Amino acid sequence: MSAPAVRFAGITRRFPGVAALTDVGFDVAAGSCHAICGENGAGKSTLGRILAGIDRPDAGTITLFGEAVRFRQPRDAMAAGVAIVHQELALWPELSVAENLGMGRMPRRGPLVDRRALRAHAEALLARVGAAIDPDRRMGALSIAEQQLVQIAMAVGADARIIIFDEPTSSLGERETERLYAVMAALRAQGTTTLYVSHRMPEIFRLCDTVTVLRDGHHVATTPTAALDEAAIVEQMIGRRLEQFYPSHAAGTAGAPVLEVEGLSAAGGRVRDISFTLRAGEVLGLAGLVGAGRSEVARALFGLDPTARGRVRVRGLEATIRSPREAMALGLGLVPEDRKGQGLVLGMANRENGSLPSLPRFASRGVVDRARESAATGAAFAAMTMAADAEAATVTLSGGNQQKVVMAKWLTAESDLLILDEPTRGVDVGAKAELHAWIDRHAAAGGAVLLITSDMPELLNLATRILVLREGRPAGELARADATQASLLRLMSGLGAA
Amino acid sequence: MPSPSFVRTLVRSPQAGLTGVLLVLWGLLALAAGSHQDPLGGGTVNNFLNAHTLIQMATDASGFAIMGVGATIVIISGGIDLSVGAIYALAGVAMAMVLRAAGPLPPVAAFGLGLAVCLGVAVTCGLLNGLMVVGLRVHPFIITLGTMWILRGIAFVMSRAESILVPTSLTAVAKASLGLGRSLSPVPLLAMCAVTAIGAVFLTRTVAGRYVFAIGGNVEASRFSGLPVARSTIGVYVISGLCAGIAAFLGAAFYGSATSSDANGYELYVIASAVVGGASLVGGKGSALSAMIGALLIVTIRQAIRTLHFDQNYEWIIIGGALIAAVVIDQGGTRLLTRLREAR
Repeated sequence: MSAPAVRFAGITRRFPGVAALTDVGFDVAAGSCHAICGENGAGKSTLGRILAGIDRPDAGTITLFGEAVRFRQPRDAMAAGVAIVHQELALWPELSVAENLGMGRMPRRGPLVDRRALRAHAEALLARVGAAIDPDRRMGALSIAEQQLVQIAMAVGADARIIIFDEPTSSLGERETERLYAVMAALRAQGTTTLYVSHRMPEIFRLCDTVTVLRDGHHVATTPTAALDEAAIVEQMIGRRLEQFYPSHAAGTAGAPVLEVEGLSAAGGRVRDISFTLRAGEVLGLAGLVGAGRSEVARALFGLDPTARGRVRVRGLEATIRSPREAMALGLGLVPEDRKGQGLVLGMANRENGSLPSLPRFASRGVVDRARESAATGAAFAAMTMAADAEAATVTLSGGNQQKVVMAKWLTAESDLLILDEPTRGVDVGAKAELHAWIDRHAAAGGAVLLITSDMPELLNLATRILVLREGRPAGELARADATQASLLRLMSGLGAA
Repeated sequence: MPSPSFVRTLVRSPQAGLTGVLLVLWGLLALAAGSHQDPLGGGTVNNFLNAHTLIQMATDASGFAIMGVGATIVIISGGIDLSVGAIYALAGVAMAMVLRAAGPLPPVAAFGLGLAVCLGVAVTCGLLNGLMVVGLRVHPFIITLGTMWILRGIAFVMSRAESILVPTSLTAVAKASLGLGRSLSPVPLLAMCAVTAIGAVFLTRTVAGRYVFAIGGNVEASRFSGLPVARSTIGVYVISGLCAGIAAFLGAAFYGSATSSDANGYELYVIASAVVGGASLVGGKGSALSAMIGALLIVTIRQAIRTLHFDQNYEWIIIGGALIAAVVIDQGGTRLLTRLREAR
């Protein structure tokens, strides 16, 4: 048997506050398609980045076809025949596809770039991956699927022996996904080794012959796909914790209406005719596929969408919310989808993030009372079981603790009407359970929650009722008792009522 | 006797590295400068370490430092203000012209009117910058590059490029010896310390100061947290203008006149002071005290050229090199400190 294409041994990578990978080791057979899966935060992308030379391990070795390598930068990995295809990356968005593909090896005629040769080179590469893309188009104008094909063409052009695909299908439609599969099959036929980073079961079973599962940065198992079924992989991914995942609900009785929405339209009319009532003590789930308009509803309610129209009543009183400030004054709080981009000022201390929306409360005549600020944020962190030091910079925290800081912002501001947009995305299992328990307690104590999530079990277990959106319109509403994964999927995708 | 914990706080403070560099530089200068006989008292006087030279340096630094505090606040918010030199010139010229037109006034009235005009013009200019940055959604680099030329142009046209004298009552205040030796004038030094202290309190203790850090750190998260982003952004340019106005008042009063070419090119010294002081051009990071130390460092380097009798023609080359070196050393030190802290 020939040497494995890749041998990972003892790979360890620590980030401030978290160990992303601990002593990971396994082999990838030459010419195989090898899946690397695990939950969010399991370390699978970090492993891909290390192999591509983007990230460097703190310890451990990588051997390619029997030869030890040490990559200091992506360039080294490329020279060794390793290429990576990211989910979203428009290399040089302002340059043409041909220029992108020719970068680093521009054909010349005297001192000038030979534009004809550049174009021909690009056409040849695109043809090899079966992509019908005009090489003169601007890279940034391509769809994500097309950009991925250009990246693959680039890998082929660099004579890559090993190509890493990092969650390539997460933003692709069905037809684009099929195209990608065809290209991958062709690459494999040419003997290229592919590493496929994903957590989508059907894809793994269709494409890959071996599956490596990572959990919390540790290697769990490397198994031939033929010896596994879906349940077995899920068990490897989640481990023992599957049972105690969800708290039992304090069957809270719904109180008076807190938020009444009638005929809401948002995002310049792309989202329309949204109506619902949220009562005290309720968790109202907002379900839908990506792009169905869930986050747009959240932004509109929080005063972040100047195009929002419709009637909103808060605690029975007519309200016009034109800014987050006005929303906050009515007791609303928004935990946004993009934690790092919209939820936190990462360079600030946890205390400073925690008090950001409510700072004037702790000030007299404009001067902050540090002691009162510390006491209030400290209490909120304790309530959220946020473990990190209040004075540490938020950037050093794990995803779970960062999310708890975002939640604590609204706790400190004493907001009782919370809009939570993907509150547990990229959060480790333990923190997830703690966040769920807190949401439950908040509702039981008479608070109201509008919960937007793509995590089905989370939705089914936490929401009292579920409102489903499809393409910006309401598609139906289900009580918890009637909602199942199947009935929700049917409503979300438009296959008719359950 | 300072307690050990006080010393530890001092050593760990973010200004420790910069202050250390400054002190070492001063020590070397004192050693290398040599000394001369005091013509009056007869004792030996160090050519660098004497009250005259030091207060002269502080006076030179005061303009940069006062504007540097404003620039630091702008830079922390993620912006930049290139127009401070022009605001300085316009505010000084406007004040001098108004006082000339007003004719002879009692000293207190002249002082009050001058200060009001100078600061009023400067704050208006800053407000204009802020309103345009927020309203036109153009990068502040472009806006303030534009107003830099416009404002200096207005000063030029208004004054017909004349140098306009200001009443001696102003000079009397700016050059007051306050009980020190007769030819020593510590007012600019005191003004510099006062502005720095107020700037430091603003940045570290007030709600508005915290908002400046938040907006520079992540403007989107600030919006999502309901912060008054537009108002704060306008505010930092007003503060920057105000600082330029204070510097202009001091400058015109101290030197006794104002012209449209005053403070030409100062914007770069001012930004250099802020950046040497560790303000990050990306936003979210910086300190008023560091900006003052940065200004002192730049002026010290200039002074060194004079004290050590280097060829003055090399001044710009040396300052440029020292600027890059200071920032590189500061970054290296920060990285080292972070590594030490993580290792613990």
